[in-house]
Amino acid sequence: MSVSEIAVAEGQATNMRGAELRRGLAASVPVLLGIIPYALVLGAQAAQKGLGLLEVPLMTGLNFAGGSEFAAIQLWSSPPHILLIAGITLLVNSRHFLMGAALAPFIKQLPKRRVFPALFLMCDESWAVGLADAQRRAAAGTRPAFSLPFYLGAALPFYLAWVAFTTCGAALGPVLGDVEKYGFAMAFPAVFLVLLRGMWKGFAAARPWLVSLAAAALTYLLVPGAWYVAVGALSGLVAAWFLADET
Amino acid sequence: MIDPMTFLAILAMAGVTYLTRIGGYVMLKNRALSRRATAVMEAAPGCVLISVIAPDFVSRNPADLAALAITLLAATRLSMLPTVVIGVASAGLSRWLIG
Repeated sequence: MSVSEIAVAEGQATNMRGAELRRGLAASVPVLLGIIPYALVLGAQAAQKGLGLLEVPLMTGLNFAGGSEFAAIQLWSSPPHILLIAGITLLVNSRHFLMGAALAPFIKQLPKRRVFPALFLMCDESWAVGLADAQRRAAAGTRPAFSLPFYLGAALPFYLAWVAFTTCGAALGPVLGDVEKYGFAMAFPAVFLVLLRGMWKGFAAARPWLVSLAAAALTYLLVPGAWYVAVGALSGLVAAWFLADET
Repeated sequence: MIDPMTFLAILAMAGVTYLTRIGGYVMLKNRALSRRATAVMEAAPGCVLISVIAPDFVSRNPADLAALAITLLAATRLSMLPTVVIGVASAGLSRWLIG
C-alpha cells in the first residue's frame, strides 16, 4: 500500500467514524426530550435539600445515574448519611451489572482503555440504544457489531443534557420557593411510577415489588428513620429469590 | 460552597455507581448468572424504587392519597412528562380542595 493509499484509507475511516457518531446523535434525540423534565425535577428537589449550584452538577456529573440520584436526594439529610446513600445507590444501580454483562460479548474485543471510559457513560438509555444497534448489526452481518462511535454519539448528549438540566433545575428551584405546597412532592412518585411501568413484565414478575411495598410501608409506620428503604428492598429481593422457582 | 460531607457522599455514590457499570463486564463476561440470581437482579431496581415511595402509599393526608391514586392511573397510560404534570397538578388541587 502506497503512502497516498494509506492516507485515503485513513480518511475513509475518519469519515466513517463521523458518520457513525452522527447516527448515534440522531438516535439520542427522541429519548433526550424525555429526560429533561426528570433532570429539572431532580435539580429542584436537590436544591430544596440544601445542595448548591456546584454540588448538583458534581453529583449528576460524577455519578450520572438518575434513579440512584432521585433515591439519594429523597433520603438526603444534613449532614448526609454516607453509608445509607452509598448502599441505596448500590441497590438502585445493581441493574448495571446485568446491563454490562449483556454488553460484554459485543465489547470484549475492544481495548480496555476504550471500554472503561465508555462504560462510565452507560445509562439505561445509552445501553438500550447501543445494545439494540449491536444486535441489529450482528443480525445483518456487519463487523464489528458494536459501533463505539455510534454508542458515544448516543451517550454523550445524555450526559451533557443530564448535567446541564439538573443544574438548571437547581437554579430554578429556589425561585419557586417551597415546592411542597404546590404539590411538587408528587413529582417523585410520578417519576418512579412511570419508571416502574417501564420495567413492568407482568404481574408474576412484579410480586417482589408488592412485597417491597408492604414491607417498606409497614417499616415506615413502625420504625423511625429511613430504614424502610433497606427493609423494603431486601424483603423484595428475598421474595424474588424464592419466587424464581415458579416463573 | 461545597460542603465536605456532601462531597464525600457524592464521591461514595460515584465510586459505587462506576463499580456497578464495569462490574458486569469485568466479572460476568465469561460467566452466566444462575436463574435465581438473575431473577433477583431483575427485580432489584423495582423493589428499591417502590420502597422509596412506599410512605406516600400510607400517607395520613387524604388529599395526598387521592392525588396518588390519580397519579398511579396516569402512570399506567401516559409518558413521563404528562404523568408528572398530572401528579403535581392533582396534588396541588386536592390539597387546596381537601386541605
